[in-house]
Amino acid sequence: MVWDWKYALDILPGLLEVAPVTILATLGAFAVALILGLGLAFARRSTNRLLSGVTHAVVEFIRSTPPFVQLFFLFFVMPQFGVTMSALMTGILGLGIHYSTFLSEVYRAGIDSVEKGQWEAATALNFTPRQKWMRIILPQAIRPIIPVMGNYLITLFKETPMLLGITVVEMLSQAQIIGSQSFRYTEPVTLVGIFFLVLSYGASLLVKRLEIRLNVHR
Amino acid sequence: MKNLLSGAVPTIQLTLLGAALAFLLSFLGGFGRLSRFTAVRGVSGFIVEFFRGTSLLVQLFWLFYVLPFMGIRLESGMVGLLALGFNYGAYGSEVVRSAILSVPQGQHEAGISLNMTSLQRMRYIILPQAFRTMIPSFGNLLIELLKGTALVSLVTIPEMTFEALAMRTNDAQYTLEIFGWLLVIYFAISYPLTMLMRWTERRFSLGRL
Amino acid sequence: MSGSEVIERPDTEAPIEGKEPIVRFEKISKSFGELDVLKEVDLDLYPGERVAIIGPSGSGKTTMARLLMTLEEPTDGYIEVDGRQLWHKEVNGELVKANEKHLHEVRGDIGMVFQHFHLFPHMTVLKNLMEAPIKVKGQTKAKAREEALAMLEKVGMVDFADQYPARLSGGQQQRVAIARALVMHPKVMLFDEPTSALDPETVGEVLEVIKEIAKDREMAMMLITHEMSFARDIADRIAFFDEGKIQEQGPPAKLLNNPETERLGEFLNRFGIDGNHG
Ligand SMILES: Nc1ncnc2c1ncn2[C@@H]1O[C@H](COP(=O)(O)OP(=O)(O)OP(=O)(O)O)[C@@H](O)[C@H]1O
Ligand SMILES: [Mg+2]
Repeated sequence: MVWDWKYALDILPGLLEVAPVTILATLGAFAVALILGLGLAFARRSTNRLLSGVTHAVVEFIRSTPPFVQLFFLFFVMPQFGVTMSALMTGILGLGIHYSTFLSEVYRAGIDSVEKGQWEAATALNFTPRQKWMRIILPQAIRPIIPVMGNYLITLFKETPMLLGITVVEMLSQAQIIGSQSFRYTEPVTLVGIFFLVLSYGASLLVKRLEIRLNVHR
Repeated sequence: MKNLLSGAVPTIQLTLLGAALAFLLSFLGGFGRLSRFTAVRGVSGFIVEFFRGTSLLVQLFWLFYVLPFMGIRLESGMVGLLALGFNYGAYGSEVVRSAILSVPQGQHEAGISLNMTSLQRMRYIILPQAFRTMIPSFGNLLIELLKGTALVSLVTIPEMTFEALAMRTNDAQYTLEIFGWLLVIYFAISYPLTMLMRWTERRFSLGRL
Repeated sequence: MSGSEVIERPDTEAPIEGKEPIVRFEKISKSFGELDVLKEVDLDLYPGERVAIIGPSGSGKTTMARLLMTLEEPTDGYIEVDGRQLWHKEVNGELVKANEKHLHEVRGDIGMVFQHFHLFPHMTVLKNLMEAPIKVKGQTKAKAREEALAMLEKVGMVDFADQYPARLSGGQQQRVAIARALVMHPKVMLFDEPTSALDPETVGEVLEVIKEIAKDREMAMMLITHEMSFARDIADRIAFFDEGKIQEQGPPAKLLNNPETERLGEFLNRFGIDGNHG
């Protein structure tokens, strides 16, 4: 018998026990990416050539190299400089930084999609630059990119298993531990696969719905 | 540094072979999802969603840990290649599908009015136009695939990241250098690929405007 | 333009005596869901004949052309092209729905010029004209090239042979599209509002080209148009479509000057042509 239902049911609670770690890592990294991504988008738009150039270079470098290696870099190198944080925190930071480079591009596309007339109208009404951004531009820029952001959230979710490389015990890592105890990997690894499939496919359907709704209410 | 560079060879091999497999599967999956036959559409849709939804690392682990229990023993390099190829092939099939759908209906109709068969329309009218739209997305996927090869170190394939981890266990004091260089080498591989893709994009867009 | 104006026509005789129609629509109906766009329409086209189709928006003109070009399937009725059923095929004395192979055989007699040209953007002008003769008709490259260039000469576009379509104005693109359809030598050519997507200043050059090829009387032409004076100049017969039916048809002079139906009178009024309704 390749698949043992009883065994699968036995280990399920143990697997789900660490589901909060996977979820926390996903949401935490997404929050980092959202905030840092916006900062990067502003830095790239800066009229200061140096700032915008350096940001561009850093963004290109980070998004061209593996997040998995970046995680190791943070995990092993930060302590050498006296910065210590838990493996999970390191993971959240690492994945967050990596995806912030993608989100900065998304923000940029959103900001570029706001018509020029909106800027001119905001200036004509004598808004301060801060008001201009917060009340006029960003609300319009973010609306059309919400579905894209949703897709990045899903992508991030599917990237969290790599945190096991830096000793975070998330779902896949837990499956590996359970498997090594009983020498049966089939059930735990398959269950983790189903967990990811169900959540990410379900979420992608939600994003599609959202996309349609956002378009309808244009 | 030397050891890292020797690890770069399997990384590049995996990237190129994985990309070739993914490219092939992209078209298979993309055409499958556009098929006239409901059954073909359903099956390819399911397979694509399956590989997109279950996460690359989980697939790697599944091939590595579970397949042997079913009596299938694959070389670890093959495991990496299959996982990368199928995972990015699934993403690629979406690229192919949407690029084909993005060619305006009028192009199909012009083809019909000139009495071209559906195969001729696809071959001479639709695909050449769709291909241009695919290039940038395929370029991005290629970089993603390269980044994904780092994960296969976890299933004991001695590529670059694997070498780096092994080196660190011996020379912990050089951690900064090892991983710093590792990132630089990855960048040195991916940046030319990005440039190559941008060049291809420009080349193929000649004549459109 | 006043209704009593006498129209000068180079050749008024429609060359239809004693000939079989090249296209015959028989009780053609077409519905999109609930919407009945065409209701049992009959229309014959004779070899070399030029029929203009006019009518208000949404009356089903484009749909007629698309049914004949096999871009849309009729809900009911028959279309005959040069004596052969288009959408049906005879099997053991019975008419059954045609397959793609049958459509492919009959479709070779029909050509179409689209409102939005639909040139192939990834090919040069010359390549646009050579592709189908080579791939569909199996012509040699040399022959296809020779004929393509001759056809481009005819529509005044030979200087642009190596350009890509995106570089051309709308009028130029449409002239190329006409040449592309002509090199296939169809027996019937469909024009669906060939000038309505054009800038006003390029409309004339396209109409000139169409008039030029109309002179040859080599093929039947079905011209869907909103250009009344053009229809009057070029057509042997005008058919007025309204609410999915041909309400009235006849020679241009008769139809445009003395419309019988009230609908046509109203329609022409909107174009500033007052027929003496009666
Ligand atoms: N594929 C389709 N699906 C649903 N309805 C359609 C479709 N094609 C056409 N129609 C409808 O059929 C009717 C007739 O369309 P058609 O294009 O034949 O009109 P037309 O006479 O060419 O009008 P116009 O002068 O505006 O080009 C219209 O109401 C149109 O909305
Ligand atoms: Mg129309």
